[in-house]
Amino acid sequence: MAAFERLSQISGQLTGSKSAREKLLVKSPDDIVVTACLRTAFTKGGKGGFKDTAAADLMAGALRGVIERSGIDPALVEDVCVGEVLAPGGGATEMRAAALVAGLPESTAVRTLNRQCSSGLQACVDVANQIKTGMIEVGIGAGVESMSLQYGPNAVTEFSELLESHPEAANCKVPMGVLSEEMAKSRSIARAGQDAFAASSYQKALHAQETGLFDEEIMPLTVKFEDPKSGETRDITVSKDDGVRPGITAESLGKIKAAFAEGGSIHAGNASQISDGAAAVLLMKRSTAEKLSQPILGKYVTASVAGVKPLLMGIGPWKAIPKVFEQTGLTKDDVDIFEINEAFASQCLWCANELGIPLEKINPKGGAIAFGHPLGCTGARQVSTLLYELRRRGEKIGVTSMCVGTGMGMAAVWVAE
Amino acid sequence: MASMLEFRTPGFNPYAVKYSPYYDSRIAVASAANYGIVGNGRLFCLALGPQGIQIEKTFDTNDAQYDLAWSEINENQLLVACGDGSVKLYDIKVNEFPVMNFHEHKRETFSVAWSPVTKDTFASSSWDGTIKIWSPARKEALRTLPVGNCTYSTSYCPSNPNIVSAVSTDSHLRIFDLRTPVNAQYHLTTKIPVHQPPPFPLPPGVAPPAMPAEILTHDWNKYRDTIIATGGVDRVIRTFDIRNPSAGPASLIMGHEYAVRRLAWSPHAADILLSASYDMTVRLWTDGSTMATDHAYPVRPGVQLGLMNRHTEFVTGVDWCLFGVGGWVATVGWDERLLLWDANQMLRGKTY
Repeated sequence: MAAFERLSQISGQLTGSKSAREKLLVKSPDDIVVTACLRTAFTKGGKGGFKDTAAADLMAGALRGVIERSGIDPALVEDVCVGEVLAPGGGATEMRAAALVAGLPESTAVRTLNRQCSSGLQACVDVANQIKTGMIEVGIGAGVESMSLQYGPNAVTEFSELLESHPEAANCKVPMGVLSEEMAKSRSIARAGQDAFAASSYQKALHAQETGLFDEEIMPLTVKFEDPKSGETRDITVSKDDGVRPGITAESLGKIKAAFAEGGSIHAGNASQISDGAAAVLLMKRSTAEKLSQPILGKYVTASVAGVKPLLMGIGPWKAIPKVFEQTGLTKDDVDIFEINEAFASQCLWCANELGIPLEKINPKGGAIAFGHPLGCTGARQVSTLLYELRRRGEKIGVTSMCVGTGMGMAAVWVAE
Repeated sequence: MASMLEFRTPGFNPYAVKYSPYYDSRIAVASAANYGIVGNGRLFCLALGPQGIQIEKTFDTNDAQYDLAWSEINENQLLVACGDGSVKLYDIKVNEFPVMNFHEHKRETFSVAWSPVTKDTFASSSWDGTIKIWSPARKEALRTLPVGNCTYSTSYCPSNPNIVSAVSTDSHLRIFDLRTPVNAQYHLTTKIPVHQPPPFPLPPGVAPPAMPAEILTHDWNKYRDTIIATGGVDRVIRTFDIRNPSAGPASLIMGHEYAVRRLAWSPHAADILLSASYDMTVRLWTDGSTMATDHAYPVRPGVQLGLMNRHTEFVTGVDWCLFGVGGWVATVGWDERLLLWDANQMLRGKTY
């Protein structure tokens, strides 16, 4: 092994500089690869198909899906990390239970984490890093949120006097809509542009749904559903994002009244939807995947995290994406698809414009505006959305990124195979 | 053709050569069997005498040897950087085994450098992405500086014992100042993207590649202690003034046809440097710093003063003799040869 690596090092020095992109495309045995990834459908908070389904039940479904799809021996999975934002106690107890329900043995450890809207990505990154350092060999990064059951004022405790006394610290609890409205105003992001961006998210998602582009990533899940009219409970199988709907145009969105400020620009139609859903990603080294004959969908390269002003949390990707570019040597032209979470059309559009990313490279199957943003799930969801689309197009390099509440951004680089 | 002295290292492909800082007649070569890919290493300690170059002592290692550095405090001692990640301190008066073995690097050690000012520490860099600072009297490293990617070369500032530099795979030149507090950067104070084009127009005809490329070697200028030259896979030698890290290269020196494997500033003149390359040549350059400035183009193009092409394989090591009339250099290559020759002859129009 060592001899081969020395030889390829010298031959690399001879053949000359490879571009950062070419370097990423080299397959090495130490790569952290994805051998299965999927998500549940996303459904509308409070009324969609998962409105009566607990987050743990969604997660159990997604974990079971990953095991079934990959065909991996569940006993080989050493750790599971679930991103979850709203659950009391981080959902740690329920997620351990969910893993057992999903068929993972007691020997598989489980934890949850919360980095707000990037929790699902952070979970994947943490598991990848655990594998990189040799702590574990096989792990699952995941994310889940039941906004139907757990979204509400209880998610943040009262700020202490100390926190309130510090102006920047106090800004951490300004509600999302309010601060995004402020940001749209201070960064002069016009409503028309936001509505056009949002409408295109709906149109792309609708087209993707109609042409079956979500079929690979979505795992249908059968759950109990209480009919709000008759009050009777029945089993339904949810296999489609129900937030996606036809007939949405920039003009139709233009008629909606702004939600957070008189004369403002942000409303339900150009902000992410409140949704329920779960996603999971099975990770291991390439050498392990080859040994276990696991199918390799793509690899995780690296990730960045960056802080920004709490009131400008929406600009997070603008800071995190260049950082991950610096780490990898990539430029925006090397990237085939950007999955940037659409928390609000305003911030996503602003980041794209500032970074000079052409809109056709961003969220080609639509985003959170069209099908929802179950907070802890989104980061893990993006992996499936990205990898399957890159593979379908025969493209290679993708970036997932999102802004993070309280003023942060995360970005990660993935390569499809 | 000017004459040169030759020594053969049969069965071993040299990776580095260094003159003793104490004697003009002592020289050492670090080498590896099978081009350093698999097999043993051998350290040749050589003496120059009336009979030519003679072996004074050899030391064999189980893995390849990629670099060496003479001790600055003991004229009989020297360090080798080994493929198994170890750094070994040998004493010419002690047979066979190292007097100290420093083994913390997890991958190949690619370079060693002895502190030229305080003389009480040395640095090593490795494929494991770290630089380690050692005391010759302790088995454990004093400090570990993370670089994060294969670090081909590390060096001390010739005038300040606290400043250490490194170049690596990621196309960056890093400067560490050990006086700074250990913050998140672990003493990293400057990080220069070597490939980045300067923010000024370049002289006509000078068009270096702008893509990131592995940096394989670097050296501090012996007269201007803020100037560092780098060389690597993109075949370009660049000099940087570390006082102004964002200004890009001060000089661009182009001509090698393959990667630049090793370079060394002259100990005798502030603008002269020597480079060894996979193109099997050794070239003598001025970095242009003594020539008239063209204010339209602040980046100076280097000028080739001579070319030595007597090696028949990759040239991997160069060093200047500190003594004598001031032009003698040693070069080694994978052709299993050490050549000693007078670079001053090139300035007089002679060829090798």
